[in-house]
Amino acid sequence: MTFLKVKNISKSFGGVKAVQDLSFEVHKGEIYSIIGPNGAGKSTVFNCINGLYKTDSGDIYMDEQKLTNFRPEQVAAAGIARTFQNLELFSHMSTLDNLLLGRHLKMKASIFQIAALNFRKSQAAREEVEHRRKCEEIIDFLELEAYRNLPVLSLPYGVQKLVELGRALALEPKLLLLDEPAAGLNNEERQDMIFWIKDIRDELGISLVVIEHNIQLVKDISDRLLAINFGQKITEGTVDEVLDHEEVITAYLGEPETDQKMR
Amino acid sequence: MITQLLINSLVAGSIYALIALAMNLIYKASEIPNFAQGEMSMFSTYITFLLLTTFGYPFSIALTGTLLFAFLLGFIFEFLFIRRAKEPNLLGFIIITLGFQLVLFGLAGWKFGSDQRTFSLPFSETEILIRTESFVLTEHNLASIIIAIFVMAGLYILLNHTKLGLAMRASQQNVKAAKFNGIPTDRILGISFGISSVVGAIAGILVAPVATLDPTMMWDPLIKGFAAAVLGSLESLPGAVIGGLLLGLVENLFGYYVSLEFKSIVAFGIIMLVLFVRPSGLFQKHYIRKV
Amino acid sequence: MKLKKEYFEDVKFFRNRASAFWAMVLILTLVSFPFLFKTYYLSILNLMALNVIVALGLNILVGNTGQISLGHAGFVAIGAYTTAFLLQVGIPFVFTLILAGLITALVGAFLGIPSLRLEGPYLAIVTLGFGLAVMVIIGRMDVFGGRMGMSIPRIKLGWTGLKYDEALYYVFLLITIFMIFFAQNILKSRIGRAFSAIRDSDIAASVIGINLSYYKTLSFAISAFFAGIAGCLWALYLQFLTPGAFTLMMSVLSLATVVLGGLGSVTGSVLGAVVMTFLNLQLDKIVDLPVIGDLISGFSNAFMNPSGIANIKWVLTGLILIAVILFEPLGINGLWIRVKRYWRLWPF
Repeated sequence: MTFLKVKNISKSFGGVKAVQDLSFEVHKGEIYSIIGPNGAGKSTVFNCINGLYKTDSGDIYMDEQKLTNFRPEQVAAAGIARTFQNLELFSHMSTLDNLLLGRHLKMKASIFQIAALNFRKSQAAREEVEHRRKCEEIIDFLELEAYRNLPVLSLPYGVQKLVELGRALALEPKLLLLDEPAAGLNNEERQDMIFWIKDIRDELGISLVVIEHNIQLVKDISDRLLAINFGQKITEGTVDEVLDHEEVITAYLGEPETDQKMR
Repeated sequence: MITQLLINSLVAGSIYALIALAMNLIYKASEIPNFAQGEMSMFSTYITFLLLTTFGYPFSIALTGTLLFAFLLGFIFEFLFIRRAKEPNLLGFIIITLGFQLVLFGLAGWKFGSDQRTFSLPFSETEILIRTESFVLTEHNLASIIIAIFVMAGLYILLNHTKLGLAMRASQQNVKAAKFNGIPTDRILGISFGISSVVGAIAGILVAPVATLDPTMMWDPLIKGFAAAVLGSLESLPGAVIGGLLLGLVENLFGYYVSLEFKSIVAFGIIMLVLFVRPSGLFQKHYIRKV
Repeated sequence: MKLKKEYFEDVKFFRNRASAFWAMVLILTLVSFPFLFKTYYLSILNLMALNVIVALGLNILVGNTGQISLGHAGFVAIGAYTTAFLLQVGIPFVFTLILAGLITALVGAFLGIPSLRLEGPYLAIVTLGFGLAVMVIIGRMDVFGGRMGMSIPRIKLGWTGLKYDEALYYVFLLITIFMIFFAQNILKSRIGRAFSAIRDSDIAASVIGINLSYYKTLSFAISAFFAGIAGCLWALYLQFLTPGAFTLMMSVLSLATVVLGGLGSVTGSVLGAVVMTFLNLQLDKIVDLPVIGDLISGFSNAFMNPSGIANIKWVLTGLILIAVILFEPLGINGLWIRVKRYWRLWPF
């Protein structure tokens, strides 16, 4: 069953075509990975889905709803959350505040209700308490208890990655976009990340699209795989099909002949 | 009448352009909008006054002394305060420049009293050079325009045809790369502040005879100069010049044809309109952060 | 690991009983103040109250949302002149106060529109221009007495049975306490968090569903609301308004107050405003100080112009501002936090 549908999107910056006529579909409950060399346009695809970039042409659908040219906050409201390649955390705020920000769309208190936040029985206070409880569940899930009240600026890189993941989960998304979730992690942290990504799909029932360089991780988690280069699709299919594909190998390792000539 | 308006615009525009240039020299080098610019000019102008009137030196010596002082003032400001900012961010820098502005403002008031003083230059603002039916050109008018052109030409040569200029441009583009290539970027920044201060001092000397010398004399010109810089784009030196001239023109035309009273705020109306269409000024591509 | 079961703990205004106790002591002292001291001191406290309210609003905009305003005097002026006009027409004070806040908030929302596209210095120049423009426009309007200014009728406080000055002091105190609670609640709520999110990373903020345009505009509106309320009190405080009262210097000093106190914190705004007001008044009298005063007047007579000695106030204010950024970017509040931490660990 098609869940996310990206249809013929293109995006160029000046003369550089970052994404050209790219289409793919993600099924419900699936972990779908996008691989490709540096500068292949993977993050651009996310930014287009996300509404951070306006696509030049093409359409994006989720659950039959057309998301093309939505603003980022509308995309979030439609149920898509994401993490970033180089961490985009609210670094001066605590872990808990970062997660609470993920609940922003679910909270409704208006500026007038907020004036009564001091009263335990007020609408604003009850809402605040309820959402803090929800965030506490995510903190449990990702084992972030020790870092709850620390500013994320001061946390180790691996933990910051988890906080960002937690913030995305706090949105209770239907679809999660992970941009290089394992980049910069050590071996142990990477194993944990694999475990959590699978948990998110299995326990929380969220579909995932993952951009990743680490082939081992891609092999471990992915149901299906998309390989792109120069903003265009090389191939799509199961993990083995894609990784054995000749052009994919070339894209990653270079032409065998040119290598020899260089020697 | 239109000729007269154009002359007035050109004179006002040249002075705005000088202040805008001073602003941009620092902004390009450090992304700091220097709100102390006006008071630095004012203070330097007082030094001219001191050398000319109190000590009775000839103008050439007074001018040399002033420019030297201005350079040192800029350099020391950078060395003592800007370089030492702890967690430098835009707001912090703005506060430092505002603080320095207050210090200079207070010192000037303390030393020279806040009463207005008159000031005479070799080129008088009352001595009329050319008088025709349609316009009047004073010595001061002509001198302002010529001096502005000289300063601009000087800056152009300095930045494009000297080793120092090359180092300045390199550190403007990429501080780290410049540093790795052996350019003393800290010192270059100090020199940029110094040069900017010199340009500002020249603008101050040109403003003083028309505005009378007192500690608040640069408030209005500074805001106009800043506005001109924003209009052209803070990142571009030619932009500063064009922004200054454009502002002088629009302001004078508006003051004559529409309303003299609202002359001083029309500039902001225009700037808001320009920024609405081009958020980083007329001569700069808007920068979007990549994720 | 201490498990938290009671989430309301985090929402409450006072973290613990001790801070609630000290706050109560402070409020009681302030309430009994008129019975203990001369009226002159009441006017100083009123001035502090005004500055606290302006600082609270400006801090939400600058410290939390990360925007820059160099035109806050313009907002205060709008609040003050709205009050002047409404009171002269005969609108009761309570409605005047609320309207002054709301009208200023509306203007603030309009000024927020350029902030959607502009950053840093570009926004600074627009707000700066706004502040100047407000004064030029008000100076031209005959309704507001033009450049001559207009006087403010006294509000009806006779029913309290107190002297006018004392009753006015309680009005100021009540409004200030309410505004402090309001500011704190905003910052603890989803709205305040959204503001800080925009400051830290606007891209991430938009991706988690924060509408940047809405919240930036809202931040300007809230900030202006505070300034409008403060403006209303200014009108009552000054009793006579001229456009010259709301200068660029006022905007600069408001910004200085916030930075001195501590960016992004309510405590900082309050401390900053109190200290800044105090300094502003005390620096005028610095020559009267025992040892330092003699040194300064000696220096002044020898090297400077003795008649300009009042200007030393600006020099010192400027130096304090620079010192804050160089040595303690989080201002007095940052210093306070460090001192507390030090004492908690003492004597180790």
